[in-house]
Amino acid sequence: MGHGKYIAPSQGQYQVQAGEVLNLQYVVLPGESRDIEISVDLVGPGAEAHIKALYLCKATEKVRFRIVMHHKAPGCKSTQLINGIAGGQADVRFDGTIVVAPDAQQTEAYQENHNIVLTEEAKVVTKPQLEIYADDVKCSHGATVGQLNADELFYMRSRGIPEAEARTLQMLSFLSPVIPEGREEEIEAAVRSL
Amino acid sequence: MSEDQKIIQAFTSGEYKEGFVTDVEQEFIPKGLNEEIVRMISARKEEPEWLLEFRLDALRKWQSMPMPDWAHLDMPEIDFQDIIYFAAPKKDKDRPKEIDPKLAETFDKLGIPLKERDVLAGVVAVDAVFDSVSVTTTFRKTLAEKGIIFCSFSEAVKEHPDLVRKYLATVVPASDNYFAALNSAVFSDGSFCYIPKGVRCPMELSSYFRINARGTGQFERTLIVADEDSYVSYMEGCTAPMRDEQQLHAAVVEIIVEKGADVKYSTVQNWYPGDAEGKGGILNLVTKRGICKGDGSHLSWTQVETGSAITWKYPSTILKGDYSSSEFYSVAVTNNHQQADTGTKMIHLGRGTKSRIVSKGISAGVSQNSYRGLVRMAKGAQNARNFSQCDSLLIGSRCGAHTFPDIQSQNPTATVEHEATTSKISEDQLFYCNQRGIGPEEAVGLIVNGYAREVLSRLPMEFAVEAQKLLQVSLEGSVG
Repeated sequence: MGHGKYIAPSQGQYQVQAGEVLNLQYVVLPGESRDIEISVDLVGPGAEAHIKALYLCKATEKVRFRIVMHHKAPGCKSTQLINGIAGGQADVRFDGTIVVAPDAQQTEAYQENHNIVLTEEAKVVTKPQLEIYADDVKCSHGATVGQLNADELFYMRSRGIPEAEARTLQMLSFLSPVIPEGREEEIEAAVRSL
Repeated sequence: MSEDQKIIQAFTSGEYKEGFVTDVEQEFIPKGLNEEIVRMISARKEEPEWLLEFRLDALRKWQSMPMPDWAHLDMPEIDFQDIIYFAAPKKDKDRPKEIDPKLAETFDKLGIPLKERDVLAGVVAVDAVFDSVSVTTTFRKTLAEKGIIFCSFSEAVKEHPDLVRKYLATVVPASDNYFAALNSAVFSDGSFCYIPKGVRCPMELSSYFRINARGTGQFERTLIVADEDSYVSYMEGCTAPMRDEQQLHAAVVEIIVEKGADVKYSTVQNWYPGDAEGKGGILNLVTKRGICKGDGSHLSWTQVETGSAITWKYPSTILKGDYSSSEFYSVAVTNNHQQADTGTKMIHLGRGTKSRIVSKGISAGVSQNSYRGLVRMAKGAQNARNFSQCDSLLIGSRCGAHTFPDIQSQNPTATVEHEATTSKISEDQLFYCNQRGIGPEEAVGLIVNGYAREVLSRLPMEFAVEAQKLLQVSLEGSVG
């Protein structure tokens, strides 16, 4: 599929040294089953890693995310944001683990996974996990599985926006934090096809 | 030693004051676990044939199961043949109706009133279990007037066999897991409670479990049935003597909540946690599950876990009835070498079901504290809703706090939210308190209590005081 230069390979192991910053971006478009398996080791003090991913499913796609973020050195920072929409009979699974080693003090690690389920047949399983062995850390994770907000939809429809358009807008705004620069149109088209 | 470390040490070296042993004559059956032992337990309790069959079936299932190893625990090898599965205080032949004064004294020391006149009128009815048998159940008459059955499990088998047979193992089948199968084979005593239709239980019901004998395990079974539109609040407490050896506690709790009924189940778990070097302590391997069977039913779990060397416990609810709801409030404290892997499962089957999970973990010393939870939205769970919050507080740099949630959604109208944070008591918070003349230790107590407040406030009044004290003892004065 035509991924831009920002799209990282589905499988990867990364070691981030002191002062380095790793940015990973993933886009999974409708019709595509993917198994994304990455592990990142933050091995040098002050290393950073940021992962963003977006998925859209409308048929029988199987999308898997397996992400292990290992904080091995002090003062490292990591963020993960994975947003996606599951329609059709899609089967989506997110396994994310943050491990903070005993000496990795002053760690900041954040992980978020938000999912919207559009149809009866779609299935989402999310397992965001934290394993923390140091005390001076700021770690959080959040995961949601839900649907498009009915109040928002009503708001837009009461102002004359047709339902289909309103839903598209909602989905685009939900995805906007993870849409890579320069691919807005492509993703908008994919959202409209759902 | 720096000031911080001193405070942490003072805070984490609180004594276990329930660690005494009662010197009472006891009878045991031989060590080991096989068909003969199971038959022996069953014969001793004069059980009907069907219950013996149930036990033997469970034993066969248990023998074919592997020991689970998925929990985030460093579990010692348990030699199941080296455990005495039944220990009971010998009854004084001359006064068979009376409670042995030594036992009464034991429970008195623990603050558990066995004589009804000792209690403020109509506050708490207690079923006290000492090793493998229930020694007494208070307020039975008062409760019987309302049609409420509250007695030991053994008595229930004799007096209400139909009810027991109808509900036993309907929520936790014998083959459910390794420890549930073990319990089903060798369970000794526990509490049975039945609230009839439309009855609001006038007092708190309570079970108190005490392990006393050496080399034994406690395997109690609790069955609570709340019939339509009834209400009951149930409390459970437990302690054990201080010993170098580890003792096994594998209980099963089953709760059936019928249409419109409301059950509140609270636990303050204070088993002996082992010494500061991690020697001894109770292995607390418990299966607790309730089913919101009827429409609009409600089940609430509240637990304060401060004891046990190892805790393996996931009180769960199956939300089967439409618009039924459930909550899980937990504070789990681990210190020294304690390990806890605890959490909940919320299985949403019915329409419009709601659940809420609030879990607060506090780890100190070199302990490991994990939250493990499952929220499942089945296909039929239209408009179901869950909210989970799991916070961890770390005290000291050598402990661990872990979160393992599992969220599964198969319904587009269901909403699941999960959030977790991990933090330590910040310098700022401490500084703020110190600045206002609150000493470091007191400040930590304040912060920990504030952190756990949301859960503590859910406990029945009788328990809330005890739980707050326990938190202080287990965690006095910690500075990160």
